[in-house]
Amino acid sequence: MKHVIYILIFCCLLLGACSKFLDQTPQAVISGDALNTPENVEKMATAAYSALGNDHYTAPYSSMWPYGNLRSGDAYKGGDGTGDISDYHFYESFSLNRIDNGSSDQVWFRLYVCIGRVNDALARLNNISKEVYPNKVTRQAEMHFLRGHYYFLLKILFKYVPYIDEKIAKENYDTVSNRDYTNDELWTKIADDFRFAADSLPETQPQLGRANKYAAKAYLAKALLYQAYKQDENNAVSSIDAGLLQQVNTLCDDVINSGKYQLNTDFANNFLSAYQNSTESVFAVQYSQNDGTPKGRLDYGHALDYPMNQNYGCCGFHSPSYNLVNAFKTDNNGLPEFNTFNDTNVSGENDFHTYTFDPRLDHTVAIPEHPYKYDPAFIYKRSWARAPDVYGGYLSLKEAVLPNDASFLKVPPFMSSSKNWDIIRFADVLLFKAESLIELGRQDEALPLINRIRERAAASTGLLKQSDGSFTSNYKMGTYQPGINCVWTQDFARQALRWERRLEFAMEGYRFFDLVRWGIAAEYLNTYFAVEKTRSAHLEDAVFTKGRDEYLPVPLNQINFSKGLYKQNIGW
Amino acid sequence: MKNLFYLVPMLLFNFLAVAQQKTITGTVISQQSKTPIPGVTVQVGSNHTITNSTGQFTIPAAPGDVLIFSYIGMKSFTQKVEDNMTVLSIRMEENATDLNQVIVTGYQTQKKADLTGAVAVVNVNEIKNIPLGNPVKALQGRIPGVFITTDGNPNSSATVRIRGIGTLGNNDPLYVVDGIPTKRGLQELNQSDIESIQVLKDASAATIYGSRAANGVIIVTTKKAKNGYSRISVDASSSLQSYNTKLKTLNTDGRGKAYWQAAVNDGANPDNNQIYQYDWNGDYTNPVLNKVILPEYIDAAKTMKPANTYWFDEIAQTSLLQAYNISIANGGEKGNSFFSVGLYNNKGIVKETNQQKITARFNTDYSFFKGRLKIGENFSTTYTKDALVPASDILFAALVQQPVVPVHTVDGGWGGPAAGMTDRQNPVRLIEDNKQNKSNFARLFGNAYADLEVIPGLHLKTSYGIDYNGTYQRTLRKSYTSGFLSDNTNYSQTSQDYNGNWVWQNTLTYNLAWRKNKFDFLLGEEQIKYMAQNFTASRQGYALENVDYAYLNAGSSNKDNSGTGSGYTLLSYFGKVNYSYDNKYLASATLRRDGSSRFGKDNRFGVFPAFSLGWRMSEEPFIKSNLPFVSDLKLRYGWGKNGNQEIANNATYTLYSAIYGIDPTWDFDSGSAYDLNGAGTGQLPSGYTLIQQGNSSLKWESTDESNFGMDFGLFENHLSGSVDYFIKKTSDILISPAYLAVIGEGGTKFVNGASMQNKGIEVLLSYNGKITRDLSLTVTGNVATYRNKITKLPAEVLTSYPGNGQNKNILGRSVNSTFGYVADGLFRSQKEVDDHAAQLGKGLGRIRYKDLNDDKVIDDKDRDYIGKGDPDFIYGLNVSVEYKHFDLTFFLQGVQGIQVYNTYKTYTDFSSIWTGTNWGARTLDAWTAANPNSSIPALTLVDRNNENRTSTYFLESGSYLKLRNLQLGYNFQHVFSKKLQTARVYIQGSNLFTLKSKSFTATDPENPNNAYPIPVIGTVGLNLSF
Repeated sequence: MKHVIYILIFCCLLLGACSKFLDQTPQAVISGDALNTPENVEKMATAAYSALGNDHYTAPYSSMWPYGNLRSGDAYKGGDGTGDISDYHFYESFSLNRIDNGSSDQVWFRLYVCIGRVNDALARLNNISKEVYPNKVTRQAEMHFLRGHYYFLLKILFKYVPYIDEKIAKENYDTVSNRDYTNDELWTKIADDFRFAADSLPETQPQLGRANKYAAKAYLAKALLYQAYKQDENNAVSSIDAGLLQQVNTLCDDVINSGKYQLNTDFANNFLSAYQNSTESVFAVQYSQNDGTPKGRLDYGHALDYPMNQNYGCCGFHSPSYNLVNAFKTDNNGLPEFNTFNDTNVSGENDFHTYTFDPRLDHTVAIPEHPYKYDPAFIYKRSWARAPDVYGGYLSLKEAVLPNDASFLKVPPFMSSSKNWDIIRFADVLLFKAESLIELGRQDEALPLINRIRERAAASTGLLKQSDGSFTSNYKMGTYQPGINCVWTQDFARQALRWERRLEFAMEGYRFFDLVRWGIAAEYLNTYFAVEKTRSAHLEDAVFTKGRDEYLPVPLNQINFSKGLYKQNIGW
Repeated sequence: MKNLFYLVPMLLFNFLAVAQQKTITGTVISQQSKTPIPGVTVQVGSNHTITNSTGQFTIPAAPGDVLIFSYIGMKSFTQKVEDNMTVLSIRMEENATDLNQVIVTGYQTQKKADLTGAVAVVNVNEIKNIPLGNPVKALQGRIPGVFITTDGNPNSSATVRIRGIGTLGNNDPLYVVDGIPTKRGLQELNQSDIESIQVLKDASAATIYGSRAANGVIIVTTKKAKNGYSRISVDASSSLQSYNTKLKTLNTDGRGKAYWQAAVNDGANPDNNQIYQYDWNGDYTNPVLNKVILPEYIDAAKTMKPANTYWFDEIAQTSLLQAYNISIANGGEKGNSFFSVGLYNNKGIVKETNQQKITARFNTDYSFFKGRLKIGENFSTTYTKDALVPASDILFAALVQQPVVPVHTVDGGWGGPAAGMTDRQNPVRLIEDNKQNKSNFARLFGNAYADLEVIPGLHLKTSYGIDYNGTYQRTLRKSYTSGFLSDNTNYSQTSQDYNGNWVWQNTLTYNLAWRKNKFDFLLGEEQIKYMAQNFTASRQGYALENVDYAYLNAGSSNKDNSGTGSGYTLLSYFGKVNYSYDNKYLASATLRRDGSSRFGKDNRFGVFPAFSLGWRMSEEPFIKSNLPFVSDLKLRYGWGKNGNQEIANNATYTLYSAIYGIDPTWDFDSGSAYDLNGAGTGQLPSGYTLIQQGNSSLKWESTDESNFGMDFGLFENHLSGSVDYFIKKTSDILISPAYLAVIGEGGTKFVNGASMQNKGIEVLLSYNGKITRDLSLTVTGNVATYRNKITKLPAEVLTSYPGNGQNKNILGRSVNSTFGYVADGLFRSQKEVDDHAAQLGKGLGRIRYKDLNDDKVIDDKDRDYIGKGDPDFIYGLNVSVEYKHFDLTFFLQGVQGIQVYNTYKTYTDFSSIWTGTNWGARTLDAWTAANPNSSIPALTLVDRNNENRTSTYFLESGSYLKLRNLQLGYNFQHVFSKKLQTARVYIQGSNLFTLKSKSFTATDPENPNNAYPIPVIGTVGLNLSF
């Protein structure tokens, strides 16, 4: 009998352990439903902004330098030989690029991470009432602006991408193809987001980091300008839509006439941390440090771009090409040498005093024996480049800051700065307008815009001095004066505009996309390679395949994940 | 049919019956236990009988005949029949290969002879005194089917794979120490405390541990004192370790020459180099280098004179490893106690790497009510202090840092990279600047139990166990200047981590014998609750860079902190029945039901059944009489199913996390803070980040396994062994697949998505015997192999595995496959270049890639499966010889037919892939027109041929055979007559030699890339007990 009691006790023990024991509350996390309060909806909108600056040197998207500069003839990859981030080497040579390039897959994914944050915030914003959340419409408009920006980047990289907005349920994402919309329809979707933003945003935002009405108008102008160059299925430009160009012109006028923006007096101010959010900055990625995050919210997309000296130490990426440096040469009138600039190669230090140059050269390119980033006591050396025998001795300057700059921060083994990075600056708006006018045949109206850019550049020599007070290079720069130093035809104006964009925005990540927009990438780049490969052996295999290389391939991973729903780009 | 077998011996008996016979009677008792042994076979000629339940026998025999007594687990005994002999008293001794050995098989014990599953028993004596600091490391190669890989780091753990890779997630086995399950390895266990180790390899054996047993179970029992047993034991050993697998890198002159050759091959001016200048003939067709010229200083600031540093020598040391252990055991009628303390101090062969470990164990039990109630505990505590020196960075830096860089500058500062060099640190600085950083770790592990014998044979046992550990670290990062690398800030971080679980087990066991039937019943319940919590805090701006100063309070800027927590629970019910009939027919059935908090409400519980059958053929009369040399023969079959729950704790929920910002040094920021105010600094507005998608239908991953086994002993078990064949199928494998990018952040989602299969065979063979009275020999060899293939994967995730994601995929192939190009030697003539398919960058001395699809173009369609990451087989051989007072043991271990991907070849064979690093000495033997037979590609400054692509150029044979251990001991107990129970000194060597394939170009195929080198160890040691 006693035994039975023991057994009963034991059975009680067994049953006593009920399955409530298996209910474990998740620790340190929160469910999506808890985030629909006004306070949290505001926070979700902040998270969507945060994504602007969450990129990384392995696939940047704040600056588009690996895709926009390395593929444009303006810059070499740099770093320690071709194996150091070989994905970028494949971009640079085109012929080696592949559908399974990891960086392409990464940037595709990262931009959808950004879009996901926008859609998450927007879905919550749409469902909250204005009464409890007075910021509703403004935040909705900001989210549309951000989504337009993220899709714009995807669009210029990949041409055909799946368009997902907040109205599509997550479980249906895998039914959205990258060919649900045509090339033109995708541009319209992007423009619609900016248009919504332009219509609903206030002219001024209390917080500098938020998009306002004019940022939206400027970006809408940019998107419409891209859309205006109609592309066929072979990525060739078939026509230019005058109606869209008119809209570009009007939108740019709205921005220009708002009086909110001016060109900085010195070109340098666009690239100095002390002048961030200046009068020229239309929309910028806001970086910060000593902000409660472990290593600061720095410009990580550029973290590899500093020289190899004791003040910095890593990693020597993003080297201007010989061709780009030659392009800064000017003729006797201080105008570009459109046809002969590359016939002679600027090489030794003396050449910077024999030839004449556009001053923007020394704002853009770190040149051996020239002051680095305007500090006459801090002379850049060829030895500061990572692998000068492969990639030459130049490095990119615009993204860099001095080691004693307040925005500089080492995050061993890398470093970067909390200096903002402009997505659109006012100079771009002026040149969007100039470009639309030229293509509309109104090149005479474009002339003062281009000259306004050139005058500012010519005047921007104040910081380009050596310790003895002499100019670092031999600067000579003039404006276009029809009948005196040029004949201002549409063709000439187009050439001048394109040249101006190249030098004004050199190393800022736009160049390749300009070339594709204009429909000249193949011819331009193969001409570039023919000469440049004789100067730099790493380009020996480089060939641009027309009708293919205008866009990156849709990443193989994505085609597979979509179970074949996504269609590959032409030529790949 | 069966009767026929009986008939044959009977007929023989009738024939051979002869005159002069008398009847011999007697009793057989055990020498050790002094109790009668029933069932002993007594044989004379072809006639035999069996002892009865009191050990008595009767058999007719004639004087001069020889009686042979045999019994499983006992040494066979022979007795010649003398004229006057009628009543015998026979004492039999237990055999070394002891089939009566009691094996822990999961909440209960069984005799080895009765086992029906695939259970490997480790001979703990073989690994005694091997000073590796982790018992698992010492098991490498000793158990067929258990694949152990490790490296030489003093604080490294070992990777244990039982029967191959069974799942795509966590493949670590479950460890059960004194009945308490844990997923931590055995690195905190004092090797000297181990009484026995068993490995439950197949599912039929392991299913009793259902929930976490799919990767196999390693059961460890620690030493306990026994009744009437009192002993103090002391073990001490001291070892010297050395680094004998240093990679041959270029010296300063060689690095200069290699660069010159690369430049000349390219037709480039070698003097473009920023360090070296050259005295050469300037003739690119017939280049002759006279002299490499070094500058006076290698940096512009004139702080570094050119050196000739062999960095591996600078970071390496011959180091000391010490192990001491003392244990006290005391046993009596009412209770037993065992206490031990172990000290272990391993200074690694990379300077300043170190582990210090103290373990203490206290195992006691007390008996009440005439032994019917037993209350006891097993408890151990471990404290380890590990040096936090970044060994892998140091080893890598020793390879890539250029030899011309001096360790120190002229004024005693740190040397470091100069112009054109890679941005890696001076490895000596890494050692010196990190040596103050230590990790302190403590673990408490053990259980208390009560075992009540309710009625004879019925035991009710309850056990409450704990397994908690904590880590405390305080690290200081110093400011420095080293070549062009520098950091003028300092940083100190303090972190604390606390995790572990309790486990409560209640079991009821009942043993029942009825005639020839024996039953063991087990019924049980188990609950486990696990938690983990941690936090980290850091500051910068310390006035002194001294670890005694750099506590958080002393920092002045950039305060930062973080912390998180997690947990899970498990609840299980289980039962098992073992049955045997007449010691011949064995059967066992198991059922376990496991619940885990990690799964969705509807799928929390998984049911894991198993059964196994055994047939002791050697107990059948037809074997006993016809095949007398067969002392033991058992056939086994088992089938079972067990589970795996290795997913994130919260995998069933869709969750957001308030991630403000992370350290984005190496990864994209997942934070949500943003400087909306444009202030550039200060506290930022922030939000939430989606971190995962829930899947409420998640369920247990399960593994089905069939095992066919045979155990045998021949010639009185002098020769014994076992063979096992298994088929293991894992289905519903829990994976977190890469996903469609449009899903965006937090798309991680666990699914039951894949299946794989492993088949394998394991053979163990052992001989032991006395050659002469003084000389005995034991030889144990094992060989095992497995074949792995993935049988199912969601189509969209195929790209995540080797393959082209299209027509060539991993399905049907091993998870260890490599996919890439076939390197078909070098282009040795212009004709070969011209004749080859279109290959971008082809040229003289360049690698030629095979045109696998014959389309005359080398492109990504020419890739295929090229590597073989699974071995043909692995094996081990242990030989022990005892001669008088000497004993000698050696152990050989090897892996055959494996290919390893030698990524170091990008540094050792190329000057172009990493232009700023040092390169291997092999580059001096690269292809040139004057050295046309070399297989190393011509040196170049720019890799135009994309030779860094995954190809067979980097695949090398990883086969090896190592002399893992050689030990020579001398027993001098006799010197002290009976005062000492053990007195032995020994010398030992570990990893004394390696045989490897000629095609392997690095140093240690066991450790092909950047792992911490495995040292050669020489040891002297002493074992005493009294």
